[in-house]
This record gives sequence, structure tokens and C-alpha cells, in this order.
Amino acid sequence: MTGVRACITGIGLMTPISIGVPETRLALRGAKKRISPISLFTVSPESRLPVGEIGRDFIQAGIPRTHHLALTAAQEAMGQSEGPPDAVVVGVTTGGMLKTEAHFKKGETTPSHFAYHGPGTVGEVLAEKLGCTGPVITVSTACSSGAAAIKIALEMLRTRQAKRVLVGGADALCRLTYYGFRSLQLLDPAGARPFDVNRRGMSLSEGAGMLLLEAGPREAGEDMGEILGAGLSCDAYHPSSPDPEGRGALRAMRAALEDADISPSAIDYVNLHGTGTIDNDRAEARALNGLFGDKMPPVSSVKGAMGHSLAAAGAIEAGIAALSIMDGVVPGTTGCSRPDPQLGLDPVLQPVEADVETVLSNAFGFGGNNASVVIGRGDTGRLKETRETLPSLTVVGSACITGAGDMETSIRAVSEKGMCRGVLPMNELPLNLPSQMVRRWRRLTRMALSLGISAHKDARLPKDPFSIFFATGWGPLSETYGFLERLRFREESFSSPTAFVGSVHNAPAGQMAIHFGSTGPNVTVTGGDYSFEQALMVAGLMIKPYHTPTIVVGADAFHDPLSGIFDRSVIGHEEAADGGGGLCVMGTAHPSGTTIATRFFENSKNNPSILRALIQRLGGPERVRDAYGAVFAGIPGAFTKDGRDQLRTFCREAGFEGPVIDYRRFTGQFASASAVAAALGVRFVQDGKIPQGFAQTDVVGLDGKGVLMVGFGRFITAVEIISGG
Amino acid sequence: MKTLTDELRTKIIETLNLEDIRPEDIGETDQLVGGELGLDSIDVLELVVMIEKDYGIRIDNKELGAKVFADLRSLADYIDTHSQGDPH
Repeated sequence: MTGVRACITGIGLMTPISIGVPETRLALRGAKKRISPISLFTVSPESRLPVGEIGRDFIQAGIPRTHHLALTAAQEAMGQSEGPPDAVVVGVTTGGMLKTEAHFKKGETTPSHFAYHGPGTVGEVLAEKLGCTGPVITVSTACSSGAAAIKIALEMLRTRQAKRVLVGGADALCRLTYYGFRSLQLLDPAGARPFDVNRRGMSLSEGAGMLLLEAGPREAGEDMGEILGAGLSCDAYHPSSPDPEGRGALRAMRAALEDADISPSAIDYVNLHGTGTIDNDRAEARALNGLFGDKMPPVSSVKGAMGHSLAAAGAIEAGIAALSIMDGVVPGTTGCSRPDPQLGLDPVLQPVEADVETVLSNAFGFGGNNASVVIGRGDTGRLKETRETLPSLTVVGSACITGAGDMETSIRAVSEKGMCRGVLPMNELPLNLPSQMVRRWRRLTRMALSLGISAHKDARLPKDPFSIFFATGWGPLSETYGFLERLRFREESFSSPTAFVGSVHNAPAGQMAIHFGSTGPNVTVTGGDYSFEQALMVAGLMIKPYHTPTIVVGADAFHDPLSGIFDRSVIGHEEAADGGGGLCVMGTAHPSGTTIATRFFENSKNNPSILRALIQRLGGPERVRDAYGAVFAGIPGAFTKDGRDQLRTFCREAGFEGPVIDYRRFTGQFASASAVAAALGVRFVQDGKIPQGFAQTDVVGLDGKGVLMVGFGRFITAVEIISGG
Repeated sequence: MKTLTDELRTKIIETLNLEDIRPEDIGETDQLVGGELGLDSIDVLELVVMIEKDYGIRIDNKELGAKVFADLRSLADYIDTHSQGDPH
């Protein structure tokens, strides 16, 4: 089997030191510090701190700043390239938050003002503007998002899910992160001084980095470099502080080198995460010493010059790594004048010319999320053996939460009353989690923990999960609202650090990792009504046979009033509902197990033949009729009319006459309803029948057939659940 | 002094959502961080915000924080010394 190379054929960069790649190349040689007191929004004089900004006049009517940054970088990366990318994978933490904050300050809460609030809308805008009809994956693993996105894109190319992937990260400055990091006392009042003996924190900044990755091999000289490998890990240590020994960082770097199939001695330069916080720099230095020992290559951090742009950083710095190779320059560590002798690390302080062939680039974040990427010259990488399709995951445990309660209660409620929708009181969440464990966490993290633990319990496995995949349409809304309320009452300088740490989308996954001690890949994805399908797809891309077992959870927490302001699928539905589903899966085939696999994920915008493509991908109409005993249709409230039309067309074109279950009618409208459906689907396939009340008044036998979950609306997704027995 | 420590006991429990702890469980010289209360660095920062908001005193670095939040008595002493009049 021939392998695939992930060739970098385009780069787009927006940073506080440079607009575009040519300016970045110059700026990296200059190493000027571009950090100054914040001016993008008004703060009180006593809380004014230096940040990295991309000009206040960088404004585009209609879309929020993050989207504008991402689009500008994406257009540069696409350059003269012909045709759209097959997929978009983008790391984002706060999406349209800056605009959301401005509206809340004015007391404006009309839903139409918040159409671009969700982090997932950044990738959706890119896909729409660039004409991409494939999947849009939004990674939200805090400060490692941009680098984690590259790992996912790399696996998409290797598994031949796509030939061209636009991948990157973007984040604009906003009040939530500014006051949040300030409340954690992680912002250096003098500007970031990475690895300096007097360092006191980071400089928050903004930006976007985008790479166009194309499957190679390609002609020599055509590329701007190559992604040789990437690795993810989780500290499973603390929600916001790194493991002081740097063990998680070391695991990510080792995983990246192993993935690239090279030894540490092949690395010519390490682009450090190097934020300038006391704890990050110490942990990273320890990890580097653990990896390289006395054969340390040149290392440096660019964050003293351009600050830390959160989800953008990992992608920007992968781009900088490629430029470093092309230009033969190791960037300097701006801001560091006296390296901390306790760190045992001697960073390159001023830019130097050097022959650079291979770079390791780090990005670490909240939730103990670590990602490392190996970038090469483009003609050096070995071809990796590739898989042709996404493997099926064997489900060994499942759980769900609905307004009625756990799986058993939910099934009974539908059988008896025809529905299980609602909002379960917090004290009735399945599993009585000890208050010391959950006292800091609000509804979403509590639900996610409950689902992860229940699914793992259901599997009755002696081993704890190695890896965690989490999906949420809207993230921790209670924590977000707490901040927006302080903003409205002009109390933002008293922002709660606990709520900030809890407000990141990946807080629930980080907490699950700490509970289980899961040190493997830990990925959170988000994208409204299609979040859980993203998580299943990414899990399929990432899970290796030795990563067993793995937890995949999708959950959303109803919040009054935010759910009704942000979520177009909730607006207009009187009845509040939330919940989620959890699966414990194995990456290895298991003859008697029930398997779940993502079979299709495309964008329905500008994609008229999408339903035919879906049926074809599933093996044609005949296979659809033969393989599936029922269709679970996910029709989000925002797309009721289109969704119903699409469902009718699908059934007609496939000639499917079996039971069709429009599951949101009994789960209620919330983004992760498909996670509930997946957990129920697994149960029904295992039992070989659908209980009464779901499809018809009577029990429906599946006759050994599987269940097909199809998501309709803005995206069309298909997830297949079949019995392996 | 008695009233300030009692007030702080209640505020600590409320601020940190310590459901299982009663005010009398927090002794004046009990170790606050890393002790039986199970508090960590984020909790300390949460208390920093509470102290700034309710007493008008900002504790803006780790070294000072470690000293002030050693136990309830050191916290009360610090507030008592640094508060300018009654902010309530």
C-alpha cells in the first residue's frame, strides 16, 4: 500500500507582528516585541495590561473579529490554489464572544445578533466562502486547539477521507479571556518574558494561522514543507495548571516523533509553547530535558514578541516552523534577557541563521491538553502506511441522560408517555458524584462526568479509559453567563477564575481525564447540532488499537436565557430540554460486538447532489434497505422544513420503507440529542429490537439489521450502528 | 476579630461551594490549601477575587497569596491590617 504525505501547499498568517506570510518572514528576523496596553476594548485603568493586538481598525461588517481573522488567513493560505478544500478543520475557543460581550453590555439579547456566537461558526463561514462541501470540524481544546486540529487533518489525509484540508486556528481578543487570565494572575504586567528568571506570565493576544495541506507525494519544489507527524496527550492532572514534571508534554512530544517515525536527534529546532507563565515554562523545560537530555537542539518561543493567541497559536507556530525551514532562521525568544538558571534550558534569544530541516512545535492548554507537531522540509518524510477507510469502533458500554433520567428510565418514559424530554434536576443526574469532586462544576461538566463514568461502568472493563472524545454544541453556558452578567453590571474586574476555567469547552473532557487518569489523546469538538457526529468521526480517525478503551461523550446543558438566545434549534420551542449520551468504545474489531462508524459527513450548502452521494457512500439503495432495520432521523429545530424535505428525499431515493424515528420529537431540541440517539441505537441493536413507543405502538424487530442515524439540515451526516455478531 | 473570622468562614464556604463543610469545621490555624479542606490554587484565586470585592484589598501575586492564605487567622490578620475603614 502506498502512503500519503501531508504537504503544506499554502500558509496564511495573521499575528500582532505581521499581516501575512511575507511580513512574518521579515518580522521573525527582527524579533521586535509587539505588545502594548490593550486598546481593543475599554478597561479600567487599574486593570489595564499589555496584550498583542492586530489593529483596532481590522473590522469586517457582518462577521465577528475571529471569523474575519480566520477568513483573511484562510484566503492567504488558499492563494492561487484551484478549487475548494475537501474539509475544514479549525481550532477556536471563543468564536463570536467579543461581539456577544458588546451586545450583553448594552443589554441586547435578540437572538438574531448572536448567529455567529458559536466557535463552530468560524469553520462554517470558511467552508461557505471557500465553497467547501465536505466536513467542518471545530476543535476546542483551549490553547492546544490549533495544533490538535493539525493532527486531525493529518489523519484525514492518511485515511484518504480528504485530499485537501484547510486546517488552522483563530481567536480574537475578548473580555472573557482577558479578565479570565487576569483573574488567574497569569498575565505579566511587563509583557511576556518566556523562560526569563523574572517572568510573571503571558501576554494575551489574537490572530489566525491557516495551512492548506494536500495529499502527496508531489513534485519536488512545489511545497512549503510537510507535516511529518503529530501527537496528542493529556496531563490528567489539573484543570488549568500543567503537570509540574511536564510528563504530559513529554508524552505529546514522544507521540509526535513516533508518529513522524524519527528520533529526537533529527530535530533541528523546537518551537516552544513558551507562554511565559512560571508553571508552563518550568514544565516544558523539564519535558524537553527529559526528551533531549544533553543533546538539546536550539529552542525558542515567539510569544514574547507576538503574545499568546490561544487557539490560533499552535497553527500560527506550525506555519512559523515551516518558514523557519524555508528561510534557514531560528526565531529569537523576545522578552527573555536572563534565562532562568533553574530551568536548565538555554533558549535562542536573538534570531540566528541555521540549517533547519525538521522542527518540533508545541502547544499546551487548559484541561491538560498537549499537542506537538513535527514539520519537515517536504522531501524528507517517510511515507506512512495508510488506512483506506475509517475503522468501525466496537461499543462495549453506553449511557444516556434525558429529561426523564438514565437509559432505562428514558426508554420507559418513551414507551409509556411517548417522550422523555425535559431538564433533569441536578440532584437527579445519574450517579451521585461526591460534592468535593463536582463542587466547582456546573451542569455541563457534571452531566459529562456522569455519562463518561456510566458508559465505562456499563462496559465492566478492568481498564480505565486511555482516551477521551467530547462533543458539545454550546459549551458550559452557566459559566459563560456568569461572566456576561458581571459584564452587564460592570463588575468584570471581579471575574471568577473558577468560572473562567470552567467556561472553556474542553473543561468537561479535562475533568473526565482527571477522574479516569486518561493520559491519551483528549479532544473536544463543537459545532452546534452536528457536534457529536464530529466527535465520532474524530474518534474514528484517532483511535489506535492500543488506545483501548476510549470514552466518547456528547452533552449539552440547557441554560435560561442563553440557550434561547444562541441556539437557533431551541428558539421557538417552548419546552426546555437537554442531556447527552456516552459510549465506551474499543478501536479493535470484536466479532460479537456492536459497532458504530461515521459513514458520511458533508455540508449541504452548495451541494445539490448531497443525498445521492450519501446513498452511494452507504453502498447504494439496496444495501440501505438490507443493512438497516430503522433510520434515526435527526432534524434540528433550526432546519425543520429543509430537514423534513431531505428526509423524504432520502427515503424515496433509497426506497427505504422501514421505521423512521424522528428522535428529537421525544428527546426535545438540544444540540447533543444525537448522542442520546446513538446510545439508544446501540442498545436497540444489541437487543435486536426497538421497544414499543419509539417507532410504532408495538415492539419492532430488527431481524439482525442495524440502525442508521442520519443528521439533516446544514450538514448531512450518517452514523451506522450494526451488530457484529 | 471574632466576627471577622466567623464572617470569613461563611464566605469561604459560600464562595467555594463547600457543601459538606460547616463553618465550625474550619479551625483558625487549619491549613487552608492542600489540607483537609481540599482547596487548591484556583480556590485561592477565587478567594482573592472575593477579598478584593468585599474588602477592597487586592492580593496580586503568588508569594503574598501563599502567606495570606496560610490559614484563617493569617487571612483575617491581613484583612484587618489592610482594610481602610469599613467597605460594607
